Amino acid sequence: MKLRRIAALVLAGMTVTNLAACSSGSAKSGTTVTEAAAETTKTETAAETTASENSAAGVFAGVEKEETDLSGELIYWSAFTGGSGEWDQSRVDLFNKMYADKGIHVTRQQIEGAGIKNGALMSAVASGTNAPDLIISDAPIDVYSFAVEGAFMAVDDLLPKVGIDPGSFFDGLDDLIKVDGKTYLIPQDANVHLLYYNKKLVREAGLDPEAPPTTIEELNSWAEALSIPDGNGGFKQLGLIPWIGDGGDTSGDAFHIPFVFGTNVYDPAANKLNLTEDKMIKYFEWIKGYSEKYSPTIQEWGTSAGGVFDPSCPFYTEKVAMYFCGNWMANAIKLTVGDAIEWGVTAVPSPDYGRAKATTLGANPFAIVEGSSNAELAAFFIKFCISPAIQEDNFAQWRSIPCSDSAFDGVSLTKNGDAMYALEREIANNPENGVPAMCSVSTELADQFQKARQEIIFNGADITSTLQALQDRMQSALDSAN
Amino acid sequence: MDYRKKDIRNALLFISPWIIGFLVFTLYPILSSLYYSFCEYKVIKAPVFIGLRNYINLFGDKSYLAALGNTVYMLIFGVPVTTVTAVAVSILLNNKHLHHAGIFKVVFFIPTLVPTIVACFLWIWMFQSGGIVNTVLGYFGISGPAWLSSITYAKPAFIFYMIWTIGNAVIIYLAGLQDIDPNLYEAAEIDGAGFIRQTMSITIPLLRSTILYNMVTLIIGVFQWFAEPLIITEGGPGNATLFYSLYLYQNAFRFFKMGYACAMGWVLLVISLAIILVLFKVFKFGEAEN
Amino acid sequence: MKKRKIKYDSIEYSPSVIARKVVMYAILTLISVAFVAPIAFMFLGSFKMTKELARVPFKWMPDSFNFTNFKAVFEKIPFFLYLKNTLIIVFFNMIGSLVSNSLVAYGFSRIKWPGRDKVFILVIVTMILPFQITMVPLYLMFNKWGWIGTFLPLTFTCFFGYPFYIFLIRQFLIGLPAELSESAKIDGAGEFRIFWQLTLPLAKPVLATVAIFAFMKSWNDYIGPLIFLSDQKLYTLSLAASMLKSNLDPQWTVLLALGSMMVMPVLILFFVLQKYFIQGVTMSGIKG
Repeated sequence: MKLRRIAALVLAGMTVTNLAACSSGSAKSGTTVTEAAAETTKTETAAETTASENSAAGVFAGVEKEETDLSGELIYWSAFTGGSGEWDQSRVDLFNKMYADKGIHVTRQQIEGAGIKNGALMSAVASGTNAPDLIISDAPIDVYSFAVEGAFMAVDDLLPKVGIDPGSFFDGLDDLIKVDGKTYLIPQDANVHLLYYNKKLVREAGLDPEAPPTTIEELNSWAEALSIPDGNGGFKQLGLIPWIGDGGDTSGDAFHIPFVFGTNVYDPAANKLNLTEDKMIKYFEWIKGYSEKYSPTIQEWGTSAGGVFDPSCPFYTEKVAMYFCGNWMANAIKLTVGDAIEWGVTAVPSPDYGRAKATTLGANPFAIVEGSSNAELAAFFIKFCISPAIQEDNFAQWRSIPCSDSAFDGVSLTKNGDAMYALEREIANNPENGVPAMCSVSTELADQFQKARQEIIFNGADITSTLQALQDRMQSALDSAN
Repeated sequence: MDYRKKDIRNALLFISPWIIGFLVFTLYPILSSLYYSFCEYKVIKAPVFIGLRNYINLFGDKSYLAALGNTVYMLIFGVPVTTVTAVAVSILLNNKHLHHAGIFKVVFFIPTLVPTIVACFLWIWMFQSGGIVNTVLGYFGISGPAWLSSITYAKPAFIFYMIWTIGNAVIIYLAGLQDIDPNLYEAAEIDGAGFIRQTMSITIPLLRSTILYNMVTLIIGVFQWFAEPLIITEGGPGNATLFYSLYLYQNAFRFFKMGYACAMGWVLLVISLAIILVLFKVFKFGEAEN
Repeated sequence: MKKRKIKYDSIEYSPSVIARKVVMYAILTLISVAFVAPIAFMFLGSFKMTKELARVPFKWMPDSFNFTNFKAVFEKIPFFLYLKNTLIIVFFNMIGSLVSNSLVAYGFSRIKWPGRDKVFILVIVTMILPFQITMVPLYLMFNKWGWIGTFLPLTFTCFFGYPFYIFLIRQFLIGLPAELSESAKIDGAGEFRIFWQLTLPLAKPVLATVAIFAFMKSWNDYIGPLIFLSDQKLYTLSLAASMLKSNLDPQWTVLLALGSMMVMPVLILFFVLQKYFIQGVTMSGIKG
């Protein structure tokens, strides 16, 4: 039919155009990375640089091969996408290359949320077939629930066999990686939560950018000084929006700030939730205070499309002077707006009844799936992945921290005397750190807590009764789950 | 052979693909899910029979009631608005005075070709506080709301999404419109009926069945809608955009409550069945023509 | 196709007709602009750098038309592999939809048998089920058969009928005169022969519609591949879009470029073919 020919021609034309775009210029498709291959990421943000170039396949220098008798195949489900996914793939490629002679091969599958969000992991484990040997996720809360339900292997005996000491991880991570005292998750790296502030705006408000707030009272007065009314009942600049960024953009961020306020949401010994304690009420009163004092502007500036990678983030457009976020924001700022913002960073201020200079520890956890036939090899691969040489690029770029204090010394940022990294280290070592609300219903709890917070901020819901209702509901879910 | 028997045999042969598919890919999973709805089922552990507890819990579940309410909201507001828009657009596109109809028609189909994730991103971007939608509203002196961060205006943002994706419905409406005898319009014109009168007396009644079909499709779509709400708002702010199937998905795959989710699914089945049967009766549909 | 021209020679240019035309064009243009705006943003955005996206005040046109993002798409994902996968799935979807649904619809419309309409209601009812509740039993079943990790869950299932399409085709077939089959039967033709040689050719318009719908549905299908494809080598383009997006460092402009690349060829196809499936489709059954 004549029409088919036309259609075919058109399609061919499109393909040719796409090919042309692909072959012109220096497209490097599918190159495997070896130790010296990719150039170190240039921090220069020339006009033509895209974010993708900066997060290209990582540099792995000085990786040493270990002697091992292990052999076999691994299936590795990874939740990392985008630039992180490429980095993950390149270290898998390196591993395969280095240990090919031992008959070791790792197949990496990039799956939505490591198979957690699309039900693939759940179904694979249930049916016992097609399950991966190990996974890595960027959503520790989701992974924890799986650990509680017995989907993963306990690794306390396994890790020492490949030379990892499970006791070396920060105590603050125990909440996340252990269930009933047994280790199920192996953290790759950790992140701390900080308060970022715009030094220029701070100066303009007559405050000292080198003396950031340490207490909640100071934070509140900074916020007030940095909020500029627009003469129309609103504001043209705000000091702080306490529930965005790490204050609660995603359900994974639900409990960061309440933690700093000293709350203890879950008591594992008694399997009891506590959402109505004094400190939690005070936290909500604090939030509600901001919501009322700076309305309506503060409600309107709630969200932007991509969080801290979106150039329209209110911190980048200098609409908001202070912002809660993790150590990765340092790189996000660089990638998104370059040097446009003069920023400083400090520990999250706390009330005197809270936890000073503390943080919840976020981590990207590995887990070995129960029933894997190659568990020791999986542990060996994990050790490779968390080794300092492999992680160096990750640390240098995203400022994430190793999961044990001793590993800090080998990181270039430490060796170069980087002030922010030293601050991160100090915060990470705080014995009061933890990972709150880790229980068998952690996903739903975090999700519903976020919703409750929004009800309180945007709908004027009553603090105590909303929290009580949520607590009752999740407590019964907890009780019935056991 | 008896005439009837041969017909029955032939008919069964013809519909055999559906029968097989129904038994294997539909009936078996449905019956499984019915069984699971009476259990507590974490998927990675075997199901545990708990009787009607899931169904009872549904009625006290604030999130469930919110999800139900949100879906009903979309049915009451979203479906009529979308249907009216689709019909209106189709009537305009079908008009014989319209030149370059081809270009216009393609315009309405393009949105359905955009990959889901990209469409979701476009929506987030457009409905930001300082985004395109509010900018345009600003030209008319209207101060736009926070849309996807606003409890009241998040759902309307999704209604706009429904309208944006009317492409499929428009195809079917156009087909239905083409079927209407132009002589009817001529006659009406001669009788002095204006455009509105013609539409109400000729077009709409004759399009009745097409409208019914598209409405049913739309209603089913609203009940099953979950990918876009998941990506765009994850049900927020508060529970404002927690739609039925999104909550079902969360329970099934995130909260380890597959049994509970199955119970939700069955309640959905019953509710949709009721709505659609009512619609069929109202539109007097379902009987074969020959 | 017969084009029926009704002449209104004498009133062709009367003011009321012109006014009506203007209003019509105005409304359509307005709505079209609203519909196209996001798409335009997508196309133009694929030439932009990330920083340009959030520039205030917003600028439609990119600073310069560079192809960096398009290059990035090819660097980051195996575009042609995923395109191939998508096309395979789409192809089987279309074939399966055409074959199975026409057979089934024929059985529900052109043959009289007891209980036909009641069973048909059952067909309709299955449209309502949300897939989430059937998903896990289905997944476990496919797993047992070894289908997970292949295209089969997404392709094989298309050969067993899909209620929406069965309905559409059935409505069309109902509108065909009964004498058609009867006279053929008198000549001694078997049911299948009637189906194949008489009915199907007449059903071309609705079949074309179904083919288009099947194409659009499977080209863009996100949930199906998300759930059933666990092997990266089999991923489709719509999944690739989610691979490009990430929590850390989402590359929006590259995503837009991928979106543009997915939409453009189909768009052109559409424009070329739209005459054939809209004008031709007569749904005489639906209107009844």
